[in-house]
Amino acid sequence: MGEDLPLKMTGVSKWFGNFQAVRDLDFDVPKGSIVGFLGPNGAGKSTSLRMALGVLSPDRGDVSLLGAPPNLESLKYVGFLPEERGLYKKMSPRQIITYFARLKGMSSRDAKARADELLDMMGLGEFARSRVTKLSKGMAQKVQILSALAHRPSFLILDEPFSGLDPVNQQALEDLIIEEHKRGATIVFSTHVMEHAERLCEKIVMMARGRKVFDGTLDEAFAALGRAVHIGVAEGFDLAAALEPSGFEALQEGDHWRVSLKQAQSSQDALRATLDAGAPITSFTPQEARLRDVFVSLVSEAEAQDLTDTLAADAAEGREAA
Amino acid sequence: MIRSTYLVTMRDYLGYVSAWGFWLGLLFTPLILGIFILAPTLAQNAQPTRYFAVIEAGDTFTNALSEQMTESVSVTARAMLDPIAIAQNQDSEKLAAYDEARANGATVEEAFAQAGGFPDMLPRQDFVQVDAPVSNSADLAPYITGATLVDTIEGPQPLFAAFVVNEESGEIEYWSENLQAQALMSFARQAERELQLDRALATVNVDRSILNDARAARRDVTQQRVRTGEDADTETEVTQADQAPFVVSIMMAFSLWFLIFSVINYLLMGTIEERSNKIFDSLLTSVKLPHLLAGKLLAVLLLSLTLVGFWSVGSGVVTWFARDMISADVAQFFGAVFTAAANPALFVPAIISFVLGYLMYGSLFLALGSLCDTIQEAQTLMTPLFVTLMAPLAMLAFAIQDAESALIEIMAWVPVFTPFLLILRMPTEPPIWEVLAQLGLMALTTFVILHLATRVYRAGAVHGAGVNDVWAFFGKLVPGKKSAA
Repeated sequence: MGEDLPLKMTGVSKWFGNFQAVRDLDFDVPKGSIVGFLGPNGAGKSTSLRMALGVLSPDRGDVSLLGAPPNLESLKYVGFLPEERGLYKKMSPRQIITYFARLKGMSSRDAKARADELLDMMGLGEFARSRVTKLSKGMAQKVQILSALAHRPSFLILDEPFSGLDPVNQQALEDLIIEEHKRGATIVFSTHVMEHAERLCEKIVMMARGRKVFDGTLDEAFAALGRAVHIGVAEGFDLAAALEPSGFEALQEGDHWRVSLKQAQSSQDALRATLDAGAPITSFTPQEARLRDVFVSLVSEAEAQDLTDTLAADAAEGREAA
Repeated sequence: MIRSTYLVTMRDYLGYVSAWGFWLGLLFTPLILGIFILAPTLAQNAQPTRYFAVIEAGDTFTNALSEQMTESVSVTARAMLDPIAIAQNQDSEKLAAYDEARANGATVEEAFAQAGGFPDMLPRQDFVQVDAPVSNSADLAPYITGATLVDTIEGPQPLFAAFVVNEESGEIEYWSENLQAQALMSFARQAERELQLDRALATVNVDRSILNDARAARRDVTQQRVRTGEDADTETEVTQADQAPFVVSIMMAFSLWFLIFSVINYLLMGTIEERSNKIFDSLLTSVKLPHLLAGKLLAVLLLSLTLVGFWSVGSGVVTWFARDMISADVAQFFGAVFTAAANPALFVPAIISFVLGYLMYGSLFLALGSLCDTIQEAQTLMTPLFVTLMAPLAMLAFAIQDAESALIEIMAWVPVFTPFLLILRMPTEPPIWEVLAQLGLMALTTFVILHLATRVYRAGAVHGAGVNDVWAFFGKLVPGKKSAA
């Protein structure tokens, strides 16, 4: 199983005191894939990734990393970029990359050569022997990313890798992830910026309030939200009633109507039906599904569900008390 | 474990020794220590000579005062010539040569030189007498206030003080604007005591030499001890070799204390740096927590040994170059100290205490450092540990007086004090079961402290627990969750 699924989490839960940070999380990462781990701040992404690495242990459930519970032997093949960035300030980038590569089992000579190679590749060659304090924030972050992949890991776990990087460096990091993927590495990265996931991921896992709210491919994610067109009509015209006979559902949203498209329906069909219904059209905008919309929709649902659960629990407690 | 611990050790160690602070400490500690030792002499030499005058009808008091001040310098000169012989009230060739020269009329400086001393090392005289500028106290005011200067060998100088001896009233007045400096007045009081003693002896026709001879003829009290076994045939008088183990044990206990006290900062700062720089997560996916802790403790131990090694080699080099200045008595004393230190009955428990004591305190400081983002935060947790560390230092003072004191015997059973106090007790040859029991108790306590420190470290490093969580954490010290790291 470790061969096909470098990471598998089954029924994993984690509490911090009375607060449940992760609830019955099930997900796996297929070998050779790029998986986006998405969720708003406080969704439980970092806690889940730390459990995946064995830094934290789950209170319930099982974690399998490269076919076994997380241990230092399997972690030799894993590169990890933590959410909280940090480097030894008095060391040079070359020393830091070499140090972490050696901790992962590389020889001193290989680790130094690899550090030089990576620093040159990322345009940091001239800063290789400078103290970290001399580097810009972006450069320091690059150094930390290089430390995570210096030992050529087969599995990379990156927690919010794009956070704090300017657009140029974000693009450089995307390129690096693609390069590592081409090399054969399996990659999981967490983010709350959907565009990165859209561009890079084959599979996404979404979390909200400690729960997994979605697990699937990008296409499946878009399908979950559904397609639609936005149609503007003259004030007072009831588009919902006008389109009902042709099988379209329309919902007024401010100054326009949102017309949902079912599996076999196209935006052209919706436009034709609207014209046939004699609607005085003022605008027509097909809505392309974006991961952001899927995310907002699923997170909102999860939060609503959470609120419902809380109210139900409170009510049950009240009944018991009575 | 060995590889990851080695890598952590070397990173931390090289990080410490590449810092300027380390080299400053390395070089300046002996310098500061030397300054502390030389400070009294330096301060005395830096003080400008103070001039005083005596207004007296004759010269009886003047002579008595002068004699007293010379005697004071002579006592210092004898102590500098052979401090060990003076401390142990032993005969000494140097002292005999000095006394003979003095008896033959040599000055203190001449006698000191003849006995093998370097006169330049003698402290300069603080007070020098000059001729009285006036003949009564009523006219002294402008001289005492410094408005009018007196003639001295350095040219015109202010008059520091003046004595006015009034034979009629029987009073000796001391005039000075400096109300704090009492040294000159002490000389005067001592001189007056001796003067009155001479007068009293004269009234009964007893020569002063009779009293001096009686004092010189006093019998010495020698310290003896019972010799048994192989030593049964040797002299019973207590020798340097008998006392050396006590000196060694005090030195060893103090070294352990000094080592722990001096490396606290490194242990704390090393951990605080990693916490504040948020490196723990990266580290814990590469190294097991116990291996990380072991690496850190070893790095600081290595650092301490570097300090001690450097200072030892430095002392050796200085001693080698100054070997001609070391008297045979001092060399013999050091020989006895080295022989005592090489005795397994002393160094084996000392090394065990050394290792366990370092682990015990070192792991505590590491754990506390992991809970703090700044040194200021750490200081709030340090007070109880500092107080605990100060207690053994106070015990050292007791041990110097009496190593068999009941206080030391009892306190040695408190495991956090055992590393220091067991070493102090070893020269008193405590029962073997007591030694073993105290070592066992100390080992058990060290194990428990290491276990707790690891849990605290994990709470700080992994869960981000802080100073405010300390008491809550200790409340939860029950078997709990473990992580793979």
